[in-house]
Amino acid sequence: MTMTHSETKSARISGTRLGYRFNIVGMVGLSIILFWALVAIFAPLIIPYPVGEIVDLDYFGPMSRDFWLGSDYLGRDMLSRILMGARYTVGISLAAVTIACFSGVVLGMIAAVAGGWLDTILSRLLDALNSIPSKLFGLVVVAAVGSSIPVLILTLSVVYIPGAYRFARALAVNINAMDFITVARIRGESTLYLIRSEILPNIIGPVLADLGIRFVFIVLLLSGLSFLGLGVQPPYADWGALVRENIGALPFGAPAVIFPSFAIASLTISVNLLIDNLPQKIRDRSE
Amino acid sequence: MNDITNWTRSDDAMIETAIRRGATRRELLQMMLAGGAALSAGSLMLGRAGNAVAATPVAGGTLKAAGWSASTADTLDPAKASLSTDYVRCCSFYNRLTFLDKGGTPQMELAEAIETKDAKTWTVKLRKGVTFHDGKPLTADDVIFSLKRHLDPAVGSKVAKIAAQMTSFKAVDKQTVEITLASPNADLPTILSMHHFMIVADGTTDFSKGNGTGAFVREVFEPGVRSVGLKNKNYWKSGPNVDSFEYFAISDDSSRVNALLSGDIHLAATINPRSMRLVESQGDGFVLSKTTSGNYTNLNMRLDMEPGSKRDFVEGMKYLVNREQIVKSALRGLGEVGNDQPVSPANFYHNPDLRPHAFDPEKAKFHFEKAGMLGQSIPVVASDAANSAIDMAMIIQASAAEIGLKLDVQRVPADGYWDNYWLKAPIHFGNINPRPTPDILFSLLYSSEAPWNESQYKSEKFDKMLIEARGSLDQEKRKAIYNEMQVMVASEAGTIIPAYISNVDAITAKLKGLEANPLGGQMGYAFAEYVWLEA
Amino acid sequence: MNNRVLSLVLSRLLIAVITLVIVSFAVFFATTLLPGDTASILLGQAATPEAVEGLRKAMHLDEPAIFRFLRWIVGLLQGDLGISYANEMPVADLIGGRFVNTLQLAGVTALFSVPIALTLGITSAMLRGSPYDRIVTVLTIGVISVPEFMIATSAVLIFAVYLKWLPALSFANEVTSLTDLLRIYAMPVITLSFVISAQMIRMTRAAVIETLNTPYVEMALLKGASRPRMVFRHALPNALGPIVNAVALSLSYLLGGVIIVETIFNYPGIAKLMVDAVSTRDLPLIQSCAMVFCLGYLLLITTADIIAILSNPRLR
Repeated sequence: MTMTHSETKSARISGTRLGYRFNIVGMVGLSIILFWALVAIFAPLIIPYPVGEIVDLDYFGPMSRDFWLGSDYLGRDMLSRILMGARYTVGISLAAVTIACFSGVVLGMIAAVAGGWLDTILSRLLDALNSIPSKLFGLVVVAAVGSSIPVLILTLSVVYIPGAYRFARALAVNINAMDFITVARIRGESTLYLIRSEILPNIIGPVLADLGIRFVFIVLLLSGLSFLGLGVQPPYADWGALVRENIGALPFGAPAVIFPSFAIASLTISVNLLIDNLPQKIRDRSE
Repeated sequence: MNDITNWTRSDDAMIETAIRRGATRRELLQMMLAGGAALSAGSLMLGRAGNAVAATPVAGGTLKAAGWSASTADTLDPAKASLSTDYVRCCSFYNRLTFLDKGGTPQMELAEAIETKDAKTWTVKLRKGVTFHDGKPLTADDVIFSLKRHLDPAVGSKVAKIAAQMTSFKAVDKQTVEITLASPNADLPTILSMHHFMIVADGTTDFSKGNGTGAFVREVFEPGVRSVGLKNKNYWKSGPNVDSFEYFAISDDSSRVNALLSGDIHLAATINPRSMRLVESQGDGFVLSKTTSGNYTNLNMRLDMEPGSKRDFVEGMKYLVNREQIVKSALRGLGEVGNDQPVSPANFYHNPDLRPHAFDPEKAKFHFEKAGMLGQSIPVVASDAANSAIDMAMIIQASAAEIGLKLDVQRVPADGYWDNYWLKAPIHFGNINPRPTPDILFSLLYSSEAPWNESQYKSEKFDKMLIEARGSLDQEKRKAIYNEMQVMVASEAGTIIPAYISNVDAITAKLKGLEANPLGGQMGYAFAEYVWLEA
Repeated sequence: MNNRVLSLVLSRLLIAVITLVIVSFAVFFATTLLPGDTASILLGQAATPEAVEGLRKAMHLDEPAIFRFLRWIVGLLQGDLGISYANEMPVADLIGGRFVNTLQLAGVTALFSVPIALTLGITSAMLRGSPYDRIVTVLTIGVISVPEFMIATSAVLIFAVYLKWLPALSFANEVTSLTDLLRIYAMPVITLSFVISAQMIRMTRAAVIETLNTPYVEMALLKGASRPRMVFRHALPNALGPIVNAVALSLSYLLGGVIIVETIFNYPGIAKLMVDAVSTRDLPLIQSCAMVFCLGYLLLITTADIIAILSNPRLR
């Protein structure tokens, strides 16, 4: 993984200016994420070859001066494909995980605080949704509305909302039973206040940890969906799909399968490192 | 990292094929003249597996092999067989009246002789002393039951269309059946060698028992999981060599190869061309067996819809397809360049003088400009359901982009593809399995009435020629007609057939006796009764 | 107290039944939305309109789907799962053996991964911020970041192809001894453990840390409770709710989500059956598989909910 010195520095500067203190591990995570974000934005300008073009007569070619990361199963340039793939993996996964976790956590907290029939109905509906196999769900989506990036993001979100909901609700129910919530209730605080100021700050740690792991799952599910015809349309491919289409290179240890895996791991590990090392100020706002 | 070179043994093999082809064709011609019946030419078995043929069979052992497709719809009903897995199982439990040998000549199996004077009324004499697994002897009634069921729509036969020409059946005596066709067809012996025309016992309703006359007796059959057959001790032929035969499917390409390399199975059917390097890197313990039998993936432009209705668009597309690159990159050399018509070089009636369109982006551009298509975005439907279609689409898309034509490749789910997009979308990919005769190919795919007329090609002249060739017993005349029909399809229809795809089975070197067969890989799916395992 | 638990369980069961009905209908509705029916899918390329019509009639597919659905529901109430459209075998026979296989694999995986995951999660929470904690964190994420099919394929390449220690395929029906069991389940179990442990480890760690931060645990600490004692007596019981939830969610994955492992190791489980059923539009089979998944899922999460409620005195 390459990381420029200036990026690290800028992260630190902006961090201090906002009054947060990042530790070094968190900064490394943040810089790698920023790096991939920049790649995603500028990919079309920096790729050495068009993504769909067959430039190498060999397949699973080794690293060479012309093809820095070798070539894929058709003889296409891996570097270009990975750089362009960043757009889909980073963009779609971040969008989907944000939607899934936001909706799931908000619904979970509402259900926990409100309780009663709202809780029951929400819980059962989302349980029902969760027990429908995602392949069937994906197929129905393609059949019904076709495949496009917004559809892809929404599908991924819907698949993961029930999980986020259950988790947030389980945490929130525990907090909800605590004395300070009862006190706040007696004080006559509104549900919204309870959720925002009492529940959320107390569950944010595990929720963020959950978000990190869910992000990883979404990155991987994305590649799975491409096999239902719901993925990124060819010749473009997300990183998971790059690993999958080049899996035949594994016995040879060819770069075509190794580097997309590295790319996925670097992104997912950074996201989780960042979350684990978020400044205390963000993690524990209540204190 | 391995030292990767781009030259595999299959490339050597390809060249060998080219050299050998002339000789093979002459031989076939002689065989055909001697035989007098219709036939199709075979394909070649390459690699070191060919050496095995001469050795002496060894008896015993458990043969384990894996195909690539399985589902709960797996069936032992030959009429419904649709996956290669079904074909392999049917071949091991049942027999046909005829089968095609490696040269593509129909040979008698359950039939002793098949005779005709006018190609319309055929007399089938059955072999004596053949019994089903349950002990019942084979009679004319079984044959009539087996053939007639294809005409019943409730059976859901895959070959109902082909069987429809058999209009009446008569049991002349216990061992003789008379089949009358709607119109003369000299190809009947070849048609009867198709896997769907396996002979089952009269009145069978439960096919999961696999009660046939074949080399193996069903022991286990779990649809979507596996089947086990035990050696039929009363088999009327000599053989089989192995004591039992287990067959199942491993749908994942690399898992199938890995299972072979780890010694779990003896044969991995239809491996991905990209896995060949891995198999070859393992040294002498494994062998690749290649068959080119006329399977192809094609790009279809419907002539009755925009933009295929523009002659220049179709013409431009034919110049735009880089066939060499498709064979080289998408098929990794495991295929032969196609010339836009369905009769492959493996077939006796293939027209070698018909040259494929050369890759010529400038000419293509000229035609697209004339059709006014440049700068437009044209949707092309592709799916994993059609072998290599996505890769082919990528190659064509890249060529198109260079001359300013935007092909919008839409990848759609393999699930339901044949129902939703094939034959329906204006530009889409299809995949056609090998058929033994040009007559079947043309009747299914190109005549005006054809059920799978992929580009909606209609020509009265073509229809007339088809009927004329079908009824003729004169080989030279048939060949001339079929040659001309191939030219017509290549230049007039909207189907681009860029390559004929080869099938590669990987086997352990211990498995001997596997030969190529024009009906497909795995020895035309019938390998189980012929092969043996060396200790 | 016991009565409360009993009524809780009973109300949960009632709700589970309602959920089953909702899911059943949703799956049915989703299936009918898919283009193509069993007749045309079975005929595949050979599906000419006449052929499809004939087969559809013969298979009784020509009556409205909702009737077939209702008939299936009525059959289900009498304990009859129906007959598969695709191969005319009783659905119960098709599911039976494979469901046992799935349960076996899930059971072995759970026995293996849950203790390891909980231990790792709790210890890394106790040693929060230490090098051990960091290593566990990075490894967990690293391990699930690798796609499942890549772990499985690598395992096969190393242990079956090169070392030849283990078989590349896992046939559940060939298990006759403990050694067989170990040999056959080793690779699938390891692959699946990689996939499901990560979530459990992280959730356990996060939940334990969260409770360690609460005032009453700090109070216990001030009162002089030792660190392990504090974790096990005070923090853990309070973190139990989220932990069992995470465990339940991870385990539910073992029922229907193991399609990749089933495919690569050729393990005849129920996930592949469902995929087959969807691709042949085999309504009775899809419905039955969906019911099995749904039941398993409900069982797991209901258990998790009840444990959560019982473990938190305030919720009782």
